[in-house]
Formats: sequence, C-alpha cells, structure tokens
Amino acid sequence: MICNSVLTAKNKGTMTVYLKSGGKLREKLKPDVDQYTRKIEVEEGLSLREILNQFEIPVELIAFAFVDGRLERLDYFPEDGQVITLQPPVSGG
Amino acid sequence: MYGFAGQMLRINLKTGNISKQILSESFAKEWLGARGMVAKILYDEVPRDADPMGPKNKLVIAPGVLTGTFVGAGSKCGFGAISPATNSHADSSVGGHIGPELKFAGYDLIIFDDISPEPVFLFIEDDKVELRSAKHLWGKGSIDTEKQLKEELGEDFEIATIGPAGENGVVFACITHDFGRNAGRCGVGAVMGSKKIKAIAIKGTKSFPIYDLKSLTKQTEAIIQRTKPHPNMAPWQKYGTALFVGWSNDQASFPTRNFQSSYYDQWQTIDGERLVEECRVIDKACFGCWMNCGKYSRAKTRHGDVYIEGPEYETIALIGGSCAMTSIHDVTFANYLCDNLGMDTESGGSVVAFAMECYEKGIITKDDLDGHELRWGNIDDFEFIINKIAYQQGIGKVLAKGTKGAAEILGKDSIKFAMQQKGLESSGYESRWAPSMLLSFMTSDIGAHHNRSWSITVDLELGRDEIKGKAPVVVYLQHIRPIYDTLSICRLFWGELDVMPEEYVESLNYVTGWHTTEDELLKTSEKIWNLTRAHFLKRNGGPGRIHDIPPARYYEEPILDGPAKGKVLSLEKINAMLDEYYEARGWDKNGNPTEELLLDLGMKAVVDDLKEINLLGKPLPDGIPKVRGQKLKPKAM
Repeated sequence: MICNSVLTAKNKGTMTVYLKSGGKLREKLKPDVDQYTRKIEVEEGLSLREILNQFEIPVELIAFAFVDGRLERLDYFPEDGQVITLQPPVSGG
Repeated sequence: MYGFAGQMLRINLKTGNISKQILSESFAKEWLGARGMVAKILYDEVPRDADPMGPKNKLVIAPGVLTGTFVGAGSKCGFGAISPATNSHADSSVGGHIGPELKFAGYDLIIFDDISPEPVFLFIEDDKVELRSAKHLWGKGSIDTEKQLKEELGEDFEIATIGPAGENGVVFACITHDFGRNAGRCGVGAVMGSKKIKAIAIKGTKSFPIYDLKSLTKQTEAIIQRTKPHPNMAPWQKYGTALFVGWSNDQASFPTRNFQSSYYDQWQTIDGERLVEECRVIDKACFGCWMNCGKYSRAKTRHGDVYIEGPEYETIALIGGSCAMTSIHDVTFANYLCDNLGMDTESGGSVVAFAMECYEKGIITKDDLDGHELRWGNIDDFEFIINKIAYQQGIGKVLAKGTKGAAEILGKDSIKFAMQQKGLESSGYESRWAPSMLLSFMTSDIGAHHNRSWSITVDLELGRDEIKGKAPVVVYLQHIRPIYDTLSICRLFWGELDVMPEEYVESLNYVTGWHTTEDELLKTSEKIWNLTRAHFLKRNGGPGRIHDIPPARYYEEPILDGPAKGKVLSLEKINAMLDEYYEARGWDKNGNPTEELLLDLGMKAVVDDLKEINLLGKPLPDGIPKVRGQKLKPKAM
C-alpha cells in the first residue's frame, strides 16, 4: 500500500533528507556522509521525484525507494530526517 | 587440480553401468563448469539427428568451478540437455544446495546416457553411487517426492526431482530442488523423465582442494563486511525479486493478459508488498549466500494451505500479470501447482495465458475443455488446465507442446501471439517499448530467457524508442552472463551488491591457482555463445535470422493500454536491430557465424561442421570487429 504523508502548507520550510544508493546509481548520487549516503537540504513538501530532479539524479535508474522498511514510489513525500534508499532495477526470478 | 573434485560420472541408464572417470584439467580449464561444460558435451556427444526425448540425448549435471567454495553465493548447478522445446542446446541452473553437495561427494559432472527400462533414482553417498528403483515414487509430485526421499534417506540428502509433467513429456517440465527452486527452463525435466530418472539424491562429506584458502577466506570476509551494510541488502532480504513488480509495471514492461498489454492495473494485488504481508513464512538462502532473497510462502487455497518457495518476480509476471490474477494467494498457489507438477512457472504461466487468450478468441472452446471455462484471472480454471497439461489429457496434450507447438496445431493465426522465441516462452518483460530487451530475447541461444542478457536498463538509459547503438551492449551483456553461469555463482551479488566481475576473477585464481583474466573469461563466453549458435543451426537449419524474428505481436499489434499504449515495433526496425547485432558479433547478414570469427576463437571443428551444412557465414567485407561487445557508456548528467 502506498503511504504518503502529504505536508500541509504551514509546515513548509527546509528539511534534511539522507539519500542512499549502491551500484551505478551511487556514482550519480555523489555520497558525502558515507560511501552510500548523501545528505541534502530541500524544501519541505516536495515529492521524491521532484527532489531527485532538483539534484539531477536520473529517475529512470530508480526502481523504487525503501523507506522505514517499506517500498515507496517516486511520488512519495519524504519527511525531515528520513533515510531514503534508492533501489536501481535488477533482474531476477 | 584445485577447485574441482576431480571426478566425473558417466551413467548408462539402459545397462545400469556407472563409470567413474578423471575430469580432464584441460577440459575443466577451457569450459569451467555448468553452462560451458554442458555446451561442449552436448555439441560433441549428441548426434545431430537425436530425438530430444530419445535414448541418444544426454542429460548433463554440472556445478562449476566456484560452486561449493567460500565465494559468495557459489551455489549454482547446471542441468543440460537437447531441449524438446527448442530442439537445441539447453542449460538451466538451480541454486539451493545440490551443486555444492555433488562436489562434496567427489564429482564435478554427471552425464546420463540412454533410457532406463524402469523408473530409477540416482543415489550418491560419497563413493557409493547406485541406480535405485523409483517405482514407488513415479507419479508423485516433485515436492512430495523430495519430502518422501528425505524421510527415507535422511534430511541431510540434497534432492532434485521431476514431477508428473516431466514423466509425461511436457516440453517445459522442470527439475525441482529444495522445495521450490528449479532448473526451470527449456524442458530439462522432460528429458530427465524420458530417461526414467525420477530423482537424484546426494550426500557428500568430502572436500575438494583450494589453491590459496587463506587469500580466498580473506577476500570473502572483506566482501561480507562490505556488502552487509549495502543499501540494496535490506529491500532484497525483505522482498526478494518480487520487489520489482511495481517498477516493471511503471515502466510499462509488465506482461499483462498474454502480453496484450504491458501495464496491469491490478498489480498491487500481487506485488512484493502483498507477498510479504500475506504469504511469506520465512526467508531462505542458497549455499554460501547471506542475502536470503528466497521467500518460503503459504497460500490459502480452496484445498487448504499449501507451502512453496516463491513466487519470484518472473512467476508473478507470467502467472500473475499474464494470466491476470488478482490475489497473491492465487499466484502462490499456481506457483505451487507448477512446482509440484514439475513445470516451469515462466513457460507454464505463459502457456496458460496463451490458452486463455485462445479461449477468449474462440480458438479453444468449452468443447475442448470438457465443458470447463478458461477465464482470465480464475485460479480454478488455472488449476484445471495446468493439471490437464501435466497429465497430457485432452487439450492439455496440445498445450504440453508449449506455445509454439500448440499454436502450430491450433492454427487460426495463434502463432502470432505465442509469446516465445525459438520455442522457449518469453520471460516476464513486455518489450515492444524496450527494443534492446527484445533484441536480447530474439538472439538468446536458448530462446527468450531473461538471464541470457537483461538489458531493459539499456533502453532506459539510451531511450525507449531508440534502436541504434544497443546491439553491441546486448552482445557485451551476453558475454558477461556466461562468466557467472560457468563459474556457477549467483549473479545477484554483482547486480545488487556491487561484487564486480574482476573480484570473481580474483576468487577464481585463489581457488584454482590459475592466472585467468577477465578478458579470457569473456572470450570463453564468446566461444560458448558461438558454439550454441552453431549447435542451433546444425539441428534446426538456417539461416540464423529466421530463428531470431519474434512473434508477430511485437511488430503488428500496438500495446493496448497503459503508459506504452500504441507502442509497436516494425519488422523493418527488428531487422535493423538484427543487422547491427550480427555486425557486432562478426556474423554475416544471415546471422551465421563466419569462418574468420570461429578461427579467431579457436573453433576449427565448428567451421567444418557449418561448412558441411552450408551454414557457415559469408566472409565480411571489412573483416570481423576486433572487439565484439561494448559496455554501456553511462549517459552524461
């Protein structure tokens, strides 16, 4: 189930989000916290897709996000302090 | 010889003779294991006119050089034979534990010849190797047989079995191991059944020599520590491959209603989230793996609960999406039915989806179905027809030939939507808007199997509508994959956890004491690719291009709905992709390997064989490319 927390206008400000990824996507992410993680400051109320576009991280290389142990899509609205793992697509079965 | 147990078994099923032979080091070094050894043995030893279901076909079981070592996920075991679905070389691998167990018993290779007069199972306990009666097991399900053999022989035996589908010659019958892992593709289970082998039971307590155990252990420990915190680890551990259902659907590549569409509006009823929340019982891992991507699951059914490992992404795509299921329990139950009956879930799902479309179009009617129906998404109808197929009853006898074979009997243009290549049903990616993925399916040596080259990300990076510039990347991917298939390790550590090919080369050298390079392994891959191409041409005629054209649905029918609505490839574009591909490979315009290429690969005997049947490629005006295949150059940001 998709679980978005849409922020209301009164909460708008900036927030800190941690983006994590491995593989080819990691090169595009340019980690600065550890080898997988980049800390970014963004405006509150933006969807993950909007955030990724803002930081020129190619959304076509992202299959989904993994947030607090759940799968989320790119229309997910991150919250302050969250760690968002970006998962590239890989075959399997 | 380091890295190998050093022995092979040749078993004549007709006479019961079991011969233990020394594994030649030069053979092992040249072909490495699994897919490589299988390709060479089938090419050299199976006569060109041998019936895949007859006594002259061989069943080969081959783990690889890294199977059973400390190298991460060195679990794989190859099963090979001439496929009754494609009438050519086939190899299909399984994870779990049976490959390592075979090496621990002291064997790198088993070659079965001829046909047993009675059902048997192969019993191996280290040096003790026997053919034992399987009369009491014949007719039983794969899962049921594995359980019974473990009860009879002991929990510590590793078992591979066939089910009724393999016994009855269904061309997409599989070999099942570890309660739901399968050597699934190309009907290797049907060949095992044709030889009257019900199961293989192995217990091994020995070891085999490693050249530099200290360095191998150090390397593996470092990889474990490095990959444990990898960002991809947690989602894979939680969902396994099922986590890609939503993404595939978003990308309009999720096969829906027999590939009529590439977008399934009910995907959330059958995705990884539903699987984990409703069905998952426990996570499972193969030998030497710390990712645990297997999901052992429980499905609620009208017969009560059933248990099976899965469903994986491909099963969800081809049973869930392609048959339009709307419950993860139904998909899991269908997975269980296929596994216990002993059928590949990919081909099984595709064949049922094909039959459902035939029913929708009036090509199959209630009269063909004993008054039954065959409705999209109906699990009772799925259960009805899959049983008919496994036991070759009524219309099941037609469908047991696979989509290509069935369409040739049913007629009425059904061949246009028989979603296969070379006789093997397509894996779970609708590709009318993913040309390089389609090219991968079209040119795959064993038919439309995703593990030969998974290139949809190439389409994402280079443009979904673009066809130019993709073929050399497909060739490169087709050469990378055999490295994993011959070393016999799970490729997911590469794709998911960034364990790179060069690290496996290092592992290989620690294990064997060789000084192999990645380029040498890529050249071995290319040799295998050309050997299996030549084998296909030898058995099926040519020119090669006629076997590489996909079903008409890909170039005649626009996608019905979803983000890719209206997308379709033209035959002209498909041929243009093949032109580029053949050029990148050093094949001629007909898709036949050239003498210059084969000699460059040291394959003189293959030149002679193709010359004899007039299928040797014509010399290329500018000669063959020096480098065949090219890495994807990442798009500039």
